[in-house]
Amino acid sequence: MNDKTMKTGKDKLIGVNMLRKEDERLLQGAGRFVDDCDDPRMVHLAIGRCPYPHARIKSIDVEAARAMPGVFAILTGADIRARTEPISVLRPLPGLLRHSYYAMAQDVARFEGEPVVAVAARDRYVAEDALEQIIIDYEPLPHVVDAERAAAADAPILHPELGTNVVVDNTLDAGDPTPLLEAADVVVEDRFQLGRVLGLPIETRGVVARYDRAAGMLDVVTSNQSPHLTRSQLAQSLRMPESQIRLSAGTIGGSFGNKLGLYPEEIIASLFAIDTGRPVKWIEDRMEHFRATVHGRESTHRIKIGASKDGTLIALDDDYFIDIGAYNGPWGPSVLASVTMPGPYNFSGFRARRRVVVTNKVPMGAYRGYGPPESNFVREVLIDRIARKLGMDPAELRKKNMVRKEQMPFTSKSGAIYDSGDYSRCLDLALDKLGYKEQRQRQAEARKQGRLVGIGMSCYVEHAGYSAASISRHTGRRFGTFESVTIRLDMSGQATVFTGIPNFGQSLETAFTQLAASGLGLSPSQVVVKPGDTLGTPQSVGAFGSRGTLAGAGAISKAAGEIRAKILRLAAHELRVSLESLDINDGIITSHEDKSIQLPVSEIAEMAILGMDLPQGDEPGLEATAYWTQPGPSFGFGAVVAMVEVDPKSGEFKLERFIVAHDCGTMLNPMLVEGQVAGGICQGLGATLMENIIYDPDSGQLVNGSMVDYMVMTAADMPKFELAHLESPSPVTPFGIKGVGESGVIGAAGAVANAVSDALSPYGIEINRIPILPETIWRALRAAEKKAA
Amino acid sequence: MSGTHRIKVTVNGKLYEAEVESRRLLVDFLRHELMLYGTHAGCEQGACGACTVQFDGRAIKSCLMLAIQADGHEITTVEGLAKDGVLHDVQEAFRNAHGLQCGFCTPGFLMVAAALGEEKKVLKGDALRKELAGNLCRCTGYANIVTAVETYLEKVGGAAQ
Repeated sequence: MNDKTMKTGKDKLIGVNMLRKEDERLLQGAGRFVDDCDDPRMVHLAIGRCPYPHARIKSIDVEAARAMPGVFAILTGADIRARTEPISVLRPLPGLLRHSYYAMAQDVARFEGEPVVAVAARDRYVAEDALEQIIIDYEPLPHVVDAERAAAADAPILHPELGTNVVVDNTLDAGDPTPLLEAADVVVEDRFQLGRVLGLPIETRGVVARYDRAAGMLDVVTSNQSPHLTRSQLAQSLRMPESQIRLSAGTIGGSFGNKLGLYPEEIIASLFAIDTGRPVKWIEDRMEHFRATVHGRESTHRIKIGASKDGTLIALDDDYFIDIGAYNGPWGPSVLASVTMPGPYNFSGFRARRRVVVTNKVPMGAYRGYGPPESNFVREVLIDRIARKLGMDPAELRKKNMVRKEQMPFTSKSGAIYDSGDYSRCLDLALDKLGYKEQRQRQAEARKQGRLVGIGMSCYVEHAGYSAASISRHTGRRFGTFESVTIRLDMSGQATVFTGIPNFGQSLETAFTQLAASGLGLSPSQVVVKPGDTLGTPQSVGAFGSRGTLAGAGAISKAAGEIRAKILRLAAHELRVSLESLDINDGIITSHEDKSIQLPVSEIAEMAILGMDLPQGDEPGLEATAYWTQPGPSFGFGAVVAMVEVDPKSGEFKLERFIVAHDCGTMLNPMLVEGQVAGGICQGLGATLMENIIYDPDSGQLVNGSMVDYMVMTAADMPKFELAHLESPSPVTPFGIKGVGESGVIGAAGAVANAVSDALSPYGIEINRIPILPETIWRALRAAEKKAA
Repeated sequence: MSGTHRIKVTVNGKLYEAEVESRRLLVDFLRHELMLYGTHAGCEQGACGACTVQFDGRAIKSCLMLAIQADGHEITTVEGLAKDGVLHDVQEAFRNAHGLQCGFCTPGFLMVAAALGEEKKVLKGDALRKELAGNLCRCTGYANIVTAVETYLEKVGGAAQ
């Protein structure tokens, strides 16, 4: 950061483990989540969803439901078509710029869970009773719930106007890698499958909408990560000016990318609020959540990597399918799998072909990691196989090929610019923590006794925040790369930070308090953060892609620097001392010229706000609004080392050790950084060990769409993990911080898969899919034994 | 439509009399009639534990009970933990260990932990993790929750051992 305002603050709260500001109220159950908004006049929505994977809606009879006591209003797809526009696309797919969908199915429903009808009633119980009285005549249509099958010539076409289910076919490359691969000494290749998973925040989505007819104002509270973007989409769908919609997020009970952009329910609730004149509430129940909130990750890769005899990686060629579900949802499929495919390594040749396929499943969207966990798994598993083939140590092979510190900034073969880092040193941190050499010896001894012990590792880059260059205009994306804040001081000297970014557990209020208090010279108790509201905040993009804190830091530092400069100017004028002699600490202004000066900021704030005795040229008030755009991408790094022991009888395996060494640049608050990494690890291990959304190919039904059937990690499942940190400050961000929200999730699958394959190497069994289930291992072991016999 | 029943229930030390629909879930009654919003509904299937309250001193999931089943019983919700604005030891332990992020699952964990504390159980490690396995958290990775509960149980139960 070359902006001087960045350095004027004392920065003394940067790097401090400050306890969280959010906790006092959350610990007492006073979080004010969306379902905590009640009103005696409120009506409650229940949404009727298509029970088939693909069906024509022949008729909807709502008369019996409409006549029920306690039912206020009913909306069907015809109402939606007449009164709204399809959801506007924030992240268009290349070649499909305007393809979208309405808030309810029009004639044909394309996934189990697509909204078909909605009822507003006295309470949710009555609304669900009414849904049961609605008679819908469906004509089931042929369905397809597998991406590669959907891409076949004889598959049922979901969107006839597109003529194909393969809606995107684009390639990112550095020329054709085929000649390089043909010339390589070793080539490894496989087909990899990553299961369909979801973020599963413990708070589902929810909306409360109110309409003030006299003012023509719509007020929407919704559990959403990007209030300004979502308001813009809602305004477009409702054909209203944005200025007549207030959209706020309240407190959000987890999001993980799943609560980005506009969903149908915000539109539906708004229409009911306008129609009934009453506050309207919709809270997604958990069964709906599996069928109405985006899924993530599922993809199939055919990838090969070539290397020379000495272990030099030469070229990578990947051809993959993403199963996007029925529509390009609020955030669509990732592009970062292609961008991060080369990972932290030097390659000479590179190609990633991405095909995005529509199927009769819940739409896919952003989920923590969003591309990198996928690319990391397939690449890292193949790198271990190369090491096995060459008889090389996998750690040595990695270090040999890693981008070196002195090569930074480094442009990868996919075009990503790595700004800073010391990758091999970070890997060493993880290996040292394990005691790599000793554990390899232990492993060799265990193997002599017939025990299946394995060590695996994986290394990743974490793309943090968006730079303008990565969201160029020609892609048609409808969001910017900046963040913004307004900071306002009141007469008591308290600062309020207004931001459009909501708080969903990422500790936004604490992080922004540290940044603002540092920049202003106030104590943390003098700063209040008001997050996640379009009312009174400057235009904002939102929190996703590990960008919130780092983009916000730029805006806060600028705004705080401006205010601090004005406080000092006013103080110099009032105290008749030189500006240069003044400083502010914990809200007290001092001068090194006159040690007797101890002026509270509140006195200057009062003077500024009353507009009395101001120096010439200064206007009243102590507030500033600042925007900040990240000049370039920042990349974090991480190395994961896992050690497992597989039970040859059952195929079960235990994670004996799990170590993550990571580098997210300067740590603003190490306690929060570790919390983010730990949470990411848990979700990464969930997708590695158990999480998997299953659709039955014959019926097209979602088989395990409930919390009872879809397994996630509990405290008893979660293994102990160890963390190590390296801090390589980013040259392109304020204070050198990088994002960390997605770090922990990226490397888990690759490291565990490699450890299991290493353990099973006496049998020649190689892992090529997640989740890695004991049953899969058991079957592979039995097959290997049969073959040997 | 279902009928209604008159119930008397003590919540956080206060006696309430209410006319409730027989099908109304206890979690909905606590939240939307008594305005005790700290008890959260995460799955309504007894899988996530966000709705955990103490029912006659035992941790139970309030989405698996009807409000009418609480007639004549005593319930403690998360709002009943702090006294006179001073956080309960278990809440303090969670704050100090960074045992919460979004805070949605937190009341459920607090109620389970507080019930263990009242039984003076000093649990650690895997044994404690088993006790906490009925509650899901998607943010923290559990380690800090386990640390918080260990610290709390040691503090309240240490003397009894």
